[in-house]
Amino acid sequence: MIELQQVKKVFAGRLAVDDLNLSIKAGEIFGLLGHNGAGKSTTIGMILGQVWPTSGKITVCGHDAISDRANALRKVGAIFESPVFYDYLSGYRNLEILSHYTASTSPERIRQIIEWVGLTGRENSKVRTYSHGMRARLALAQALLPKPDLLILDEPGDGLDPEGIHEMRQTILRLHREMGLTILLSSHLLTEVEQLCTRIAIMNKGRKVFEGTLADTRETQRWVRLRVGDFARAAKILREAQLIAETRDDKFVQLIGKAENNQLVECLVACGESVYEIANKEQSLEDFYLTLSRNQRSQ
Amino acid sequence: MFLAAQAFIILWLRFRPHHVEELMHRLDAMGYTPSQFITNMTISLLMIMPMAMLLLPLYSTLVGGDLVAKEAEDGTLRMILSRPVSRIRLLGVKWITGIIFSVVLTFVLGAFGAGFASLFFPSGGLFFFWPPEGLFVIFGPDQAWQRYSASIAMLMVDTISMTGLAWMFSCFNIKPAAATILAISFLFLFRILQELEFFKELQPYLITYHFRIWLDVLREPVPWWKIGESISILLAYNVTFFVIGTAAFQTRDIKS
Repeated sequence: MIELQQVKKVFAGRLAVDDLNLSIKAGEIFGLLGHNGAGKSTTIGMILGQVWPTSGKITVCGHDAISDRANALRKVGAIFESPVFYDYLSGYRNLEILSHYTASTSPERIRQIIEWVGLTGRENSKVRTYSHGMRARLALAQALLPKPDLLILDEPGDGLDPEGIHEMRQTILRLHREMGLTILLSSHLLTEVEQLCTRIAIMNKGRKVFEGTLADTRETQRWVRLRVGDFARAAKILREAQLIAETRDDKFVQLIGKAENNQLVECLVACGESVYEIANKEQSLEDFYLTLSRNQRSQ
Repeated sequence: MFLAAQAFIILWLRFRPHHVEELMHRLDAMGYTPSQFITNMTISLLMIMPMAMLLLPLYSTLVGGDLVAKEAEDGTLRMILSRPVSRIRLLGVKWITGIIFSVVLTFVLGAFGAGFASLFFPSGGLFFFWPPEGLFVIFGPDQAWQRYSASIAMLMVDTISMTGLAWMFSCFNIKPAAATILAISFLFLFRILQELEFFKELQPYLITYHFRIWLDVLREPVPWWKIGESISILLAYNVTFFVIGTAAFQTRDIKS
């Protein structure tokens, strides 16, 4: 559905995206993660033909996003963080105007979408009277106007309260389930990504530093909670024995390769260190992301 | 604002008649019957003069500067460009909107001017006196409306060009206010150059020099060749604005 090949973007001498390769298949909910300024929005801008790549090739729905933008975006809907509309017009009129830029959409279709996103009854009110959640729903409505196959969501949860975030999450799942949409979700809300996405990519300083499934993130690093007499000494012993790579919070150790818990215990006991507790720690996306960020910083 | 200014000028002329009396004396001295020429058309044109000089450039560049840059600043441009609409089509739509606005604005200025003036002054001939342009013309009732309408139509071309200049700056990656200020600055700069004797050779190339077509159409006989030449040059200016604006917009990145 989306293919990025060696995409690079330089803004006035500053490298924003570097040598990015990405492949998003039909039917996926793909998460694009990264801190502010990591290059997520620039990547989405390039996919939508709003930002010109310095080099590389971008294909959306089988069409080149730069030279054949009209066809590439024909079946694409997009929502941006803090969606902006013409505040002095009604929600309905906003949808009409946005649809008229391409091919006009029938009033029935607009009403249908308004009903789907749950804005019926408020469609004729001016957008300036809408709450943040209602604006998010209107943004979703405009994204659904072209009957999309692909939905691109750039920080859709930004500015929403917990209830709004929950609603947005349910809506995304519903869109995926009922309409079979492929979804590209850019976010720094890790729990959202963890609950929604089938595959993710993590960006840092314009480079992709990880791409894989959520299961991959859990398998990539194995953390163990260790309660011993002297944690610092135990960590030193285990590092020397090449059983662990890292420690965290004076209670967690990260196993190297195929090292197992019993090997840790045997090694520590042999060195005279008391072991009170050892347990596997369920690796969350947050753990994975934070470790990855730390590693990137230290490089 | 326009309407308030128009109403103020008309009421001033109506209730401080010594200004009108001056015109009447001038006409009387030339052997004309003043009452036939101090009419709604004469007063309306007299009123339009300062507006064409000051308010029209201000309003047209204000709207022209907003056309693209305001959408970029507000963020609606990003929403629009997430749809499969080409940038050139989007700019074309904005350009046409600017033209429609200019035509409507100038038409309203002319129509309301004549309307307001008709409330206090009788209809009849048209007398216009503008020394800087060496213009002193008198038309009978049969020609007054025609000349007045032609003058407003030419003023529309001027307004379109001023809006076009601001629209061009609006396509650059700048704030809407900056686009407006740039356009007004250019218009003032051209106007100053046009007035300076040293730059007389440059006059035919300055856009503001050709804005006089709305006055030229009042001359007797009408210098159609000169007007056609000025319209062609203004058209060329407008095409240039469109090309530069489009090129600037086409190459820029649209970011939040």
